[in-house]
Amino acid sequence: MDDGQTSEVVSGEAAASALAYLTEMSPDLRGGAILDAEGDVLAASGRPTRWRDDAAALLAVADKAGDEPVEQLHIGSEQGEVFGVRQSGLVALAVTDRFALSSLLLFDMRAILRDLAEGGDGKGRDGDRDEGGGRDAA
Amino acid sequence: MPPKPHRVLLDRVSGYADEAAAYVRRRRVARQPFARLYYTEGRASDHAADSLAGAELFIAAGRLIEIAGKRPNAGKRAR
Repeated sequence: MDDGQTSEVVSGEAAASALAYLTEMSPDLRGGAILDAEGDVLAASGRPTRWRDDAAALLAVADKAGDEPVEQLHIGSEQGEVFGVRQSGLVALAVTDRFALSSLLLFDMRAILRDLAEGGDGKGRDGDRDEGGGRDAA
Repeated sequence: MPPKPHRVLLDRVSGYADEAAAYVRRRRVARQPFARLYYTEGRASDHAADSLAGAELFIAAGRLIEIAGKRPNAGKRAR
């Protein structure tokens, strides 16, 4: 897995597009954010400053829990579930209802981060993942 | 000889009660909070809610859940 830093500078517009795409694909999604390697918010579903601070706190706690930085996290409580993915120097966080389809959501989060890191807008190179190969077709 | 009618009824009621108990038991297990962290090369660790790391993770995750609020189209989707 490529955990290196992205060589592209990801624009806020591309990140917002990617987040919108993730929201469209994931009916259980309540909100989310995409952050860069420094922890700055590129796109968020709510107040960016709160997402930045609380995401930083969560990632710090998660990193402290083990002896190496986490690559992915999944926390579930009665109020909802939190997913986090680090990929290519970017971080995606998502909050969903309970019992969301975790594998699919994590796959989608990785896909959008990979695409953003390659200079895309998060929708994949062909932009039509939901035609045939998308999660709705599964 | 066929069983007495009240025994059929009792068997049926106790069957339903067993099903309900199993449902409640499964639901209780599924509703347990969890915190899983995944590392490179597929390693994962589970943190119980009553551990120090687990408690911190739940608090931090709770803040994100609070920011996210409710699903925008909550209640509109047929489940």
